[in-house]
Amino acid sequence: MAHPPTLSALRSLVAARFPTATRKHGRCIPTGVAGLDEALGGGLPAGKLTELVSAAASSGGQLVLARLLAATRAARQRVALIDGADGFAPEAVATDALRHLVWVRAHNLEEALAAADVLVRDGNYAVVAIDLRGIAERVLRRTPAPSWHRLQRAAEGRPGAVLVQTPFALVPAVPWRLALRASASLAQRRRPQAELAAELAVERVRGHVTAEEKAG
Amino acid sequence: MNYAVLRIPDFALHALRRSEPALAGRPVALSTGEGRKAILTEVAPEAAGIAPGFTVTLAMARCPGIVLRTRDPDAEIEAQRLLLAAAFTLAPRVEATAAGCCTVDLQGAQADRTEAAVRQRLAELARAGLPARAGVAATPLLAGYAARSADPVLVVRDPARFLQSLPLAVAEPSAAQAEILRSWGLKTLGDLTALAKADVGQRLGAEGVALWERAAGETARVLRLVEPTKSFVAAWTYEPPVESVEPLLFKLRRFAERIAFELRAASLVAEALTLTLLLEDETDHRRNFRLPEPGADVESWLRVMQTHLDSLRTAARVSGVRLSAAPARPPIRQDGLFETGLTDPQAFWENLARLGAVVGDARVGTPVLCDSHRPDAFILEKPPETVPAPAPPPLHPPRGPVLRRFRPPRSVRVLLEEERPVAVTGPLTGRLCAATGPWRVSGEWWMPGSWAVETWQVELAAGGLYQLARTAEGWWLEGVLD
Repeated sequence: MAHPPTLSALRSLVAARFPTATRKHGRCIPTGVAGLDEALGGGLPAGKLTELVSAAASSGGQLVLARLLAATRAARQRVALIDGADGFAPEAVATDALRHLVWVRAHNLEEALAAADVLVRDGNYAVVAIDLRGIAERVLRRTPAPSWHRLQRAAEGRPGAVLVQTPFALVPAVPWRLALRASASLAQRRRPQAELAAELAVERVRGHVTAEEKAG
Repeated sequence: MNYAVLRIPDFALHALRRSEPALAGRPVALSTGEGRKAILTEVAPEAAGIAPGFTVTLAMARCPGIVLRTRDPDAEIEAQRLLLAAAFTLAPRVEATAAGCCTVDLQGAQADRTEAAVRQRLAELARAGLPARAGVAATPLLAGYAARSADPVLVVRDPARFLQSLPLAVAEPSAAQAEILRSWGLKTLGDLTALAKADVGQRLGAEGVALWERAAGETARVLRLVEPTKSFVAAWTYEPPVESVEPLLFKLRRFAERIAFELRAASLVAEALTLTLLLEDETDHRRNFRLPEPGADVESWLRVMQTHLDSLRTAARVSGVRLSAAPARPPIRQDGLFETGLTDPQAFWENLARLGAVVGDARVGTPVLCDSHRPDAFILEKPPETVPAPAPPPLHPPRGPVLRRFRPPRSVRVLLEEERPVAVTGPLTGRLCAATGPWRVSGEWWMPGSWAVETWQVELAAGGLYQLARTAEGWWLEGVLD
């Protein structure tokens, strides 16, 4: 059904006045984790925050990061990792999957958020990953909501995606929130990471794939 | 169009205002001394109702808010160096004609590009606090005349017509000559050159001939060339010392503007900056900024320095500042067809510098594993300009959950049965349902810092995979396998 002319005119007017708000960001950055990409409709959405909650100890958050590094390395995209608790272990990732990585080893949450504020505005990164796991829950809960809103506004209209890894649902009004529920066992230690990533169970807690995004 | 003259009217006044931010927009005048009978030499346009030649007393009566200052030689030297640096970006043959005035030999330059280049240079000088004027003509003398009446650029294409209407004072007659010429009823250069040169010589002698030649623009002279600077350094002493960032940044901007011009004139860029703050307690603070992207962009230099200064606390007030730039050839790189370079290199390197200020320079970069079996052995390097092509897939792809470290590792107590861990207490507590290991590695046994570690991977009965390490000091929880 055709929209009435007044509605079309109104949409055009809104699009002209607020180009950022109405712009469609169809670009996704595949993570290399099938379950995650499927839940997100193709990958991490550019210009948006995606929160990945890893509530359990060995639920696969670091595996997601390793696969993301491998996938972006294959695509020759640049990735920034803001490591809130300085937990990233370079030796646990293939050597070649580090060449495109800028690793920021923050001392605390304040430094991590300050670094995020800088990097999210930098258009050179395909993905800015902010890892807040390992930071005490009471510290994380004290994060003022405006900090997150500011980060989301900063990400809007940018070509890169922002992935926030948290131990519990933390980011208010985040467009996408996914959760890793299962916990790994020691029996999996000999299996290739690609296989483990393919079996990761990802639950979509918030956000949905629009028909346009499915089609595009 | 063989010569250009760059001239800054009221040079001493502009040099002073460029040096002191507090004088911006205020009615300022320079006087010959500090007494009330001192004479004003240069007056800012904001000082309404007064003019050069007024006494200080009269100036204060006519313009109550006037700021009276004497000349500042250091500020004039700095401004003169900026002017010369700007001139050297036009051509390599430059004469420092006078304070606030220089002559550039443009012979061989393309005439159609000269005016645009001069205009651009004047705009850059104006942004740096020196509003200059420029005259372009066939001789240095004519170019000098043109610079006096330019606004901001005057190109003399028809010298006779140009000289016709200029006042006699432009040719700088002596007081006696001026009196005689006035009595003859001559007011312009055209009036004087309308007389025969020989007749003027008969009545005024050799000096009269020289004046006639100057009035006709015939005088030619050889430029006394100066050498471009080879050291890119600027320094200033604060009197009194300062204790906030703003005056430092203001002065650093002025330094950066001049040094950037000097580098451009030498077709160089800066690969590093050294900032030295001289403190009141006779110590100093020195910081070397290695610029990831060598360049001569003033704003990016300032951002790097401001990031550092914002977080700097000194033990005493700052009594002086010095900035030097390490010159380098501009980087030349041809982009490959399939290279994925930086979309905004300037922002990339600036942001890395900012991150360095937030978390520390040593905690930002691309990790590179060290050639060692020692756990957690890596260094952080400067990220590559372009993301290189991926290597072929490794023969042994990474397996199992990925380690996330606890830095520093946490001390735990481990209960052993038959030399295998069965329970752990401490920051992590619980029975273990599985454990694999031990993997023993050691190294540097030939050195004082030898190390040896025994690693276990364990699974808690309550869930969760962890990595334990046993050293001579005890058991440690190294991280979680995630």
